[in-house]
Amino acid sequence: MDLAPVIAATEAITGEDVKGAGKAIALGVGAGLGSIGAGIGVGFIFGKEIESVARQPEMKSELESIRWLGFALTEAVAFYTFIFGLIAFFLS
Amino acid sequence: MKTKSKVLIGLGAYLAIAIALLLIFGNDGKNEHFKPQNEFKLPAWIHLKVGPIDLSINRAVLYLFIASVLTIVTMTYIAKRMAQKPNRVQTGVELSYELVKNNILGDNLPKDTAKRWFPFIATLFFFIWFSNMIGFIPLPTNSEETFNVFGLEIPSFAIYAATANISIPIVLTLVVWVSYHVEGVRAKGFLPYLKSWLPPGLENMSPIGRAAIFVIEVISHFVRLISLSVRLFANILAGHLLLLFMGGGLAVLLGIAALGAVTFPLAFVFFIFEVGLVATLQAFIFSTLSAIYIGGATSASH
Repeated sequence: MDLAPVIAATEAITGEDVKGAGKAIALGVGAGLGSIGAGIGVGFIFGKEIESVARQPEMKSELESIRWLGFALTEAVAFYTFIFGLIAFFLS
Repeated sequence: MKTKSKVLIGLGAYLAIAIALLLIFGNDGKNEHFKPQNEFKLPAWIHLKVGPIDLSINRAVLYLFIASVLTIVTMTYIAKRMAQKPNRVQTGVELSYELVKNNILGDNLPKDTAKRWFPFIATLFFFIWFSNMIGFIPLPTNSEETFNVFGLEIPSFAIYAATANISIPIVLTLVVWVSYHVEGVRAKGFLPYLKSWLPPGLENMSPIGRAAIFVIEVISHFVRLISLSVRLFANILAGHLLLLFMGGGLAVLLGIAALGAVTFPLAFVFFIFEVGLVATLQAFIFSTLSAIYIGGATSASH
């Protein structure tokens, strides 16, 4: 969809930089919503890990490397959205 | 005095400093001159052009060079003078060697493949680790902004890492990607390797359904290129951005001095978090996933 006429009309009415505002919203909402998902995921991993250690304390050392693997894989999702937000902000 | 009241007094004094700064300096308005993205700009120091390819020496090349030299020199130096009674550095290196051998390769690869790929994965791990760690030492490399010492123009101190630039993680990822496919083809042969991409248990499926799943598997192999490189790059870049903004960038950008008093302690916290956890964890993750990919390509069924 070509948004150019809509942008031009809104800019004429409000006298503000609509495209810049859209970019800022893209970065803020994109990175913010992405962080929610990754936050829930990281919390889930650590919660489940604590639960499993409470059930089977002898598995603690084996769970440790899996925990960090899961943590890093989940946490990276937040950064993917952050990078796409930066792309929307600086490169579009 | 109780601990609780001490903490409360400390917090109150801290808030008072922030409020005093706000009252004294106030709000200078938005700073249009300061551009945070310039911290990651790569001005060419020595111009080098081979045909259409730009090979100029810039900040990223310097960091890449330092990281490679440090990796090679420290590892060979410690390997050459191994002592019966290890000192602290040797113990640390031995511990990290054990980590690569047991945790990264041992769990994910069969023994003979692990032995063949150990040098590659260990080099990846140590190179990324050194590169991440150098990234948190301020070095005088920001030639956009200079300051004057006895008539000498010195570039201002800045933090930057080779891995905070997408080109270096993507090259590392391409090397891993090509090598795990080569290893898979060598272990199984070309067509059986492609067939092994299909998950087991699809023998009774119609050819069209299997073709569709094969297409999804092909896409997933290409997505690995993006996910592996962007994970490392984005973690380090976001860490540096966070340190930049918390360590004063936000206060300068918005022109509110009081904000600096609030964010500066956070910068210390994030610095410890980045150096203590993220730098090592990302090196660990990158090499572990490389080992998992190689293991998945060579194992009988995944």
